[in-house]
Amino acid sequence: MDGERRIEDLLRELAPQVLGALVRRFGQFDACEDAVQEALLAAAVQWPAEGIPDRPRSWLLTVAARALVDAWRADSARRRRETAAVLDPTDHILPADPTGIPDVGLAAADRDDTLALLFLCCHPALSAPSQLALTLRATGGLTTAQVAAAFLAPEATIAKRIARAKQHIRDAGARFELPAQPERTERLGVVLHVLYLIFNEGYTTSSGPALQRPDLTTEAIRLARLLYRLLPEEAEVAGLLALMLLTDARRAARTDADGRIVPLADQRRDQWDSAAIAEGQAILTGTLGTGPVGPYQLQAAIAALHAEAPSAEATDWPQILALYDVLTTVAPGPVVTLSRAVAIAMVHGPTAGLALLGTLDTDDRMAHSHRLEAVRAHLLEQTGETTAAHHSYLRAAKLTANLPEQRYLELRAAQLHQPAPPANPADWPDQQPRTIDAGTPNEVSGHP
Amino acid sequence: MKYMIMMFGGIGAATQGRSAEWIAGMHELLMKLDTELKESGECVASDALVDPSQAKTVRFINGAPVPTDGPFAEVKESLAGYWILEVDEDRALQIVSQVVAYTEYPMEVRRIMDHSAQP
Repeated sequence: MDGERRIEDLLRELAPQVLGALVRRFGQFDACEDAVQEALLAAAVQWPAEGIPDRPRSWLLTVAARALVDAWRADSARRRRETAAVLDPTDHILPADPTGIPDVGLAAADRDDTLALLFLCCHPALSAPSQLALTLRATGGLTTAQVAAAFLAPEATIAKRIARAKQHIRDAGARFELPAQPERTERLGVVLHVLYLIFNEGYTTSSGPALQRPDLTTEAIRLARLLYRLLPEEAEVAGLLALMLLTDARRAARTDADGRIVPLADQRRDQWDSAAIAEGQAILTGTLGTGPVGPYQLQAAIAALHAEAPSAEATDWPQILALYDVLTTVAPGPVVTLSRAVAIAMVHGPTAGLALLGTLDTDDRMAHSHRLEAVRAHLLEQTGETTAAHHSYLRAAKLTANLPEQRYLELRAAQLHQPAPPANPADWPDQQPRTIDAGTPNEVSGHP
Repeated sequence: MKYMIMMFGGIGAATQGRSAEWIAGMHELLMKLDTELKESGECVASDALVDPSQAKTVRFINGAPVPTDGPFAEVKESLAGYWILEVDEDRALQIVSQVVAYTEYPMEVRRIMDHSAQP
């Protein structure tokens, strides 16, 4: 593996462990998080030049602890009084001989620390963008610059957002420990949602010229794997990881060589990542029979059915519809209804699908979404209402904020308005009814 | 010197009556140009805006600022996207001409102000 990549991966892996250890000792999550950031930046500069230290975790702990002490010394008298009772902090975590610290893998205490860290980053007092940014930095070990690049935001904006987030956590009196039940289950739901949002942002970017940002999906999967290691018996954690793997498996096939969108029905399935699919299926199968099925497991099962079909035509739509029926009772919402309408159309015909879409017309949550129009356009096309479909595609193109999607929709609209068919009917792409892409229900675009 | 190059029109404005092949060709031209200008270093920044129908305009009505739906200009004259190029005027015009040769739709070239304080 490339040396720099190895260092970066190692730093990301160690970051939450080091932060957990520091916060466990000193509290003051925000100061510790800043200190760990400094240590990570120092390592990113020094390790490539000097080599990875024998005990990288101890190295980071030492540097972070020093940064913490320096910050305290430079701070106000108030803070000095507060910490006066604490002896030199480095005494607490480092024995006289720093080489005495064992550099082992994730021990039980570390597991709890990392989990507590993840829970803290997803504190309900924070807005979703703050939860995402803080999770990526504090638990993901990304630098502020990397988080900013991931969200196509200025670095200063992200730095402020994270600082404010940590302030809110402090003001909320949050403690660095796993909440007791039932808060723990609730908070786990929030953590899963945050990871899902990170994945979704990477899978269909909401701004910028690209369709997707693989660095974000990769990071979301990495954090989901971490969570799965920490909580292997939680079915929805496994469900989310499986969903991510099965969805991301299609990444290479979603765009052609020029970056244009390729709908699910037209994707080259030999470009799908079969190893990721196999892993996703195995993880999903492992959750069966362990209790009531949750929404991530259901979405993963739907993604698995798409992944298993050797071709678009061979897709088991009746089974997919059955799963959407369950999802509608377990986690109803306009996006699920939209995806279910697609499945209904595939099983019962486009008119049936259109009827269900009609129920979303008065739903405020769908009012400015291009997805409703895009699906409607597909179904209208299937019923042969080409003029109505053309106008629907144009409306969808006007509503989307994603450039590749807009171009795709604009083209589909134009294809329904061909001045005259080409001389050779074999060149006419739309003689076969197009299968509509369903994707997974909560995808921002409802796209492949 | 920096110039802003502006494209106008919402969905359907510049592509009125055009075939799918023509539209696909336009997308390709714009993508290729964007890549070339970024690689040559001439393009400092560029971006596309969402359709003008999604804009809001704040107007001063009856003594107060009021957000209203829709763009400031007519949809067909609303900004669709821009490039900021670090070039001289001749080069800017040359680049823009390449696009207009295909789209047959107007584009504007305007110099960006210099901010350094002159003695």
